[in-house]
Amino acid sequence: MVNKSTDSKRVLKMRSTGSRQQFDTLVRPWRYRLYGVAQRQSASPEIAEDWTQETLLRAWRDFGQLDDHVAIYAWLLRILNRVVADGYRRDNRRQQLAPVLTTEDAALNEHPCAAPGPFEQALKHQTDAQLTAAVHDLPDSFRQVVLLRDFEDLSYQDIAQILDLAPGTVMSRLSRGRRLLAERLIKVASDNPAASNNTHTRVNPHE
Amino acid sequence: MSDTPPFTSATENRQWSDLHDQIQDWLAGYADGELDEHHTTLVEAHLAGCEACRHDVERQRMLSERLQEIPAPRLSPAFAKRLDDTLVSAQASNKRPIGHRPLTGLKHWLARLSPSAVIGGGGWAVAMVLAAMLLVPNLAPDRSNQIAVANHIPMVSDVLADYQRAVGNDLPTPSRDADLSPPMPWPNGRVLARWTTSVGGEPAEAYAVRLGNSLIVQYQISERVFFRNPDVRQAVARAGDFRTRDNELEVIGVPMQASGLLVVAPSGNLPPIDKSAMSAS
Ligand SMILES: [Zn+2]
Repeated sequence: MVNKSTDSKRVLKMRSTGSRQQFDTLVRPWRYRLYGVAQRQSASPEIAEDWTQETLLRAWRDFGQLDDHVAIYAWLLRILNRVVADGYRRDNRRQQLAPVLTTEDAALNEHPCAAPGPFEQALKHQTDAQLTAAVHDLPDSFRQVVLLRDFEDLSYQDIAQILDLAPGTVMSRLSRGRRLLAERLIKVASDNPAASNNTHTRVNPHE
Repeated sequence: MSDTPPFTSATENRQWSDLHDQIQDWLAGYADGELDEHHTTLVEAHLAGCEACRHDVERQRMLSERLQEIPAPRLSPAFAKRLDDTLVSAQASNKRPIGHRPLTGLKHWLARLSPSAVIGGGGWAVAMVLAAMLLVPNLAPDRSNQIAVANHIPMVSDVLADYQRAVGNDLPTPSRDADLSPPMPWPNGRVLARWTTSVGGEPAEAYAVRLGNSLIVQYQISERVFFRNPDVRQAVARAGDFRTRDNELEVIGVPMQASGLLVVAPSGNLPPIDKSAMSAS
């Protein structure tokens, strides 16, 4: 009997050190991507760092309640999403209106680059930083789905879980968000045709 | 659909325009290949007669492809260090909850997923499918833990060969006082034998476990051997473990505190990997 009780103590002790080890193995590799998602939603790299740190601390706090086989990255993104929402609330950030464009929208159809071929060209001339800035400027509800789909390559199902939305809502927001993004990029390209030829123009998304 | 009245041209137009409005919210799903068959057919029929929507699909695709090319921003070394320090002190000050309480949050989360949204029941979130998906360990977005070709990794070909040998011969009878607890215990698993073998040129401990009708062997190997291959390092860094297969056998590799664990099982018979139950050795 004595042996048994020391045995179970030993097991418990191993488990508690093990969970720290598990956390490091399972969660640490995602820090980089989490920071990326945070950074693309934040007004500054410093805020993104705070969000990333807060996300990992909350993840550590809740790690013991996590089922072993949950998709870790989706779980972390879900926590990050709450951290970001709390941050916005603290800053009293006003929800940006999410306009709905139809596929017949004038800007989408009047400019030459709205056609698939020219649009592709216009898109090619946008720098990564310009595109990132344009995504950053999308209304929150659109930006979230574009980030998770087009930057993080998650399925609609995963995105639905992370954002607490129905998959159909993920799809409609993504359709509308990309449409708005396309329209804005077309406008930029047609307002400033010279810039679209200058591939060296760099824009800091946070300025 | 069976009792639709005969079309007049006015109702036909209205129906077309209703569909045109509705379909605009599905175009991302169509462009991304996330629509079920039924809705894909509906969209394709509409696209055949609607240039505006056709162009939109093309733009959705190009935009998505272009955005995917943008590399993730880098973590500054100073911040990475600060992050590590903060976590270490949080881990030190906070005695972590031991074991696993039921995850009510997750259940709630599962329950909230509506099985049929705009998209209809078809290929979507039936709770069972979703639960199964969540049970796959470390479902990485890009399945980055899957290593396609098993045989170029010596430790993998070693354990596969050893497994074949073990299955082909009688398992060694365990001596009475041998410690038979495997590195990764499974609730219904019965340890049949334990032996020492060589993996990646270094000694390794093998534990044969019978689980249901399958024979599964766990190989505890040195950390050095485990992390020798760059594909393995990358997969583990990204997903926490790696998986590979060779014909009828499946191998999963899991890093442990100061060693590595390779589990060989007949394909489809790997039990969920319960990292919490692993001994810390
Ligand atoms: Zn249309």
